Amino acid sequence: MSKRPDKRASSRVVREQIERERRRKRTAWIAIIALGALAIGGVVGWTIYASNRASGVNTPAETNSAGNGIVTGSGPVVVEDYVDFLCPYCKVYHDDAAVNVAKLLAENKITLIQHPVAYLDRFSTNNYSTRASAASGCAADDGHFQEYVNVLFANQPAEGSAGPTDDQLIKLGTDNGLSENFARCVRDKKYVTWAKKVSDDAGEAGVTGTPTVFVNGKKVQATANSIVAAVNNEAGAPTASPTN
Amino acid sequence: MRWVSLLARLGLAAVFLTAGGLKVTDLDASGRAVVAYELMPPDVAMTVGAVQPLVEIALGMLLLLGLATRLAACISAALLVVFISGIVSAWARGLNIDCGCFSQGGNLPAGQTPDYLPEILRDVVFLAMAIFLIIFPASRFSLDGWLNPEPVHRNEAEADDE
Repeated sequence: MSKRPDKRASSRVVREQIERERRRKRTAWIAIIALGALAIGGVVGWTIYASNRASGVNTPAETNSAGNGIVTGSGPVVVEDYVDFLCPYCKVYHDDAAVNVAKLLAENKITLIQHPVAYLDRFSTNNYSTRASAASGCAADDGHFQEYVNVLFANQPAEGSAGPTDDQLIKLGTDNGLSENFARCVRDKKYVTWAKKVSDDAGEAGVTGTPTVFVNGKKVQATANSIVAAVNNEAGAPTASPTN
Repeated sequence: MRWVSLLARLGLAAVFLTAGGLKVTDLDASGRAVVAYELMPPDVAMTVGAVQPLVEIALGMLLLLGLATRLAACISAALLVVFISGIVSAWARGLNIDCGCFSQGGNLPAGQTPDYLPEILRDVVFLAMAIFLIIFPASRFSLDGWLNPEPVHRNEAEADDE
């Protein structure tokens, strides 16, 4: 019946308690460091995103009041489209809808606002989306936005390849009646930041992919049929069948 | 158990490092992927999407190193629950989107239909791994084990005494 084992046992309990307390503290510190690492990750991400936002933007002629789309016509129904010049479905949309949209413009039924976004830079080896969008801004200054859009879609490069260089973009313009001012504007990269602004603003307008079409602020399918139907619906007219 | 925990830890680390790494190269696209869920105002969603990839990478690093394993596993589980709910709600609302889980996401082109079920099941497996780690956070080759070793087990201590 010696007391020795009891003493030993009690001192061990104390030691274990101290050790447990130490562990608890260390765990708390590790947790704080870990949370700090996550917070730093978040702040770095946010900083990159914020500093990437377009600043010092030049705005081309014929833009809307927000400065992020090229306006054509002055009809009562507002049709807005968002296209990327590299996106294959945008070419499908353009080729399908162009005739009918031109007809709606000629009949002064719509105001068309086109937003050439640059979402697909990573799908060409030379940032074609941004450069094509910037060049289309230059074409707007020259008063030939629509013609140039048509030329760009007619000459659309394949995704994953190298798109036309700036020199080739200039040639596509000058071969189709654009001026020396246009050439200089493309060479000076005057609207590269504008392409970024158009893309940023599109995200904030709820655009998540291309092509996206709004008729009076409502998303509609990017086809000639749905656009004509939506415009007639907004204008209160009976639905006319689209011309093909 | 420590070996199983190691597998779960490294597996989850790979998941988050890959998911974050694929999105970090285009933060705008990552933002648009969040916008596509239509669960937040677009400008808020753009910011969330921009912040998310780097947080995922930081979380992946914590898991890879085994630092604050239980906390990291709790945050992983919470994130996965959010992701799963997001996909389920997109499915329920009939949205036609790429989940943006391991890609830059966004709306799918017309004619392409999303396959949400495998994505949900995959995330549920990840969630199970995270929950396992919450219950058994101690794993082999972890910074936690090195910085803050567990006290010698009571039975072993008694064995020493005798």
